[in-house]
Amino acid sequence: MKLFFRLFLALLVSTSSVYAWSLFSSSGEERYPGMGGDFTLQSAEGEISLKDLRGKVVLMYFGYTSCPDVCPTSLGALSTALKQLDSKEMQQIQPLFISVDPERDNGDKLQEYSRYFHPKMIGATSNLDYLQALASRYGAYFRKVEVENSSMGYAVDHSSTIFVVGKNGKLMDMIQHSDSPKRILEHIRMTLENRH
Amino acid sequence: MFKQLFPGLLLGLTLAMPAFAGTAADDLQVIDPWAREVPPGLTTSAGFLGMKNTGDKEHKLVAAESANTGMIELHTHINDNGVMRMRPVKNIPVAPGGTTTLQPGGLHLMLMMIKKPLKAGEKMAITLVFEDGSKKDIEAEVRHFSMENMQH
Ligand SMILES: [Cu+2]
Repeated sequence: MKLFFRLFLALLVSTSSVYAWSLFSSSGEERYPGMGGDFTLQSAEGEISLKDLRGKVVLMYFGYTSCPDVCPTSLGALSTALKQLDSKEMQQIQPLFISVDPERDNGDKLQEYSRYFHPKMIGATSNLDYLQALASRYGAYFRKVEVENSSMGYAVDHSSTIFVVGKNGKLMDMIQHSDSPKRILEHIRMTLENRH
Repeated sequence: MFKQLFPGLLLGLTLAMPAFAGTAADDLQVIDPWAREVPPGLTTSAGFLGMKNTGDKEHKLVAAESANTGMIELHTHINDNGVMRMRPVKNIPVAPGGTTTLQPGGLHLMLMMIKKPLKAGEKMAITLVFEDGSKKDIEAEVRHFSMENMQH
């Protein structure tokens, strides 16, 4: 009986301390357990690693430059949202365009494309295997498909989501394709102000 | 003035040239044609418009041409659980009395091999080609992304 009581007490102490710890470190909590994580990509200005961007909210979008509609719509909406942020907020933001079409998108072309949407946006890519593994860690999807009856040669089927990585490097939020600039802005501010 | 003249003119045309009555080009009203400005270094973009069919039979858009592009294809997007799959379509039908809209995220004119960059504010001449062989010349206004997002 005494033993049971002691076990009970131990359990009580340990659960309450876990509870207290979780209260204390709610910003370190995993919103998407097992998803996201660090990566290194190549840009026109050299390598870019997520771990060098701690302290910034990173807005990641997977796409490709010859995407005529879906990518410009999403990046345009993101750009319009970013224009609403003040300069202090903007200092804490790093937009990142990740091309999943390294065959057609090289460093300079990617950089020019990214800057068209926002002067701070970095365009980066890697080899297909690396990109495929990275996309699946974040829950993004892309696949090159041959298209018949088209002079496109191939199309890239892809998801159209803006991934929001918090200042701690953890995946914090996903913004869907159909969201308006106003809604995108709300999402960004939630992570900036740690309100999840 | 024009409104009063127009039905008369139309009637006159119909009587004078019965063979031309009710072609797609006659029946379809084009609404707000525009094309997306091309980001630097690129030669692909998309064009959008609405087509309202004022006639009593279905019409189909089967092709589009422009001196400013090497090729225009008719495309759609299939949204498959958040995965956007862009695919060519053979034609774009407009039901009698109905309106078909080509818009971002869906049906579009895929502008390929663009010869000179499209800049916001410019006009791009496009010829629409219909199944019955009739054609319609339109001018699409080139828009920057900031001009699209204002509408949201
Ligand atoms: Cu297309």
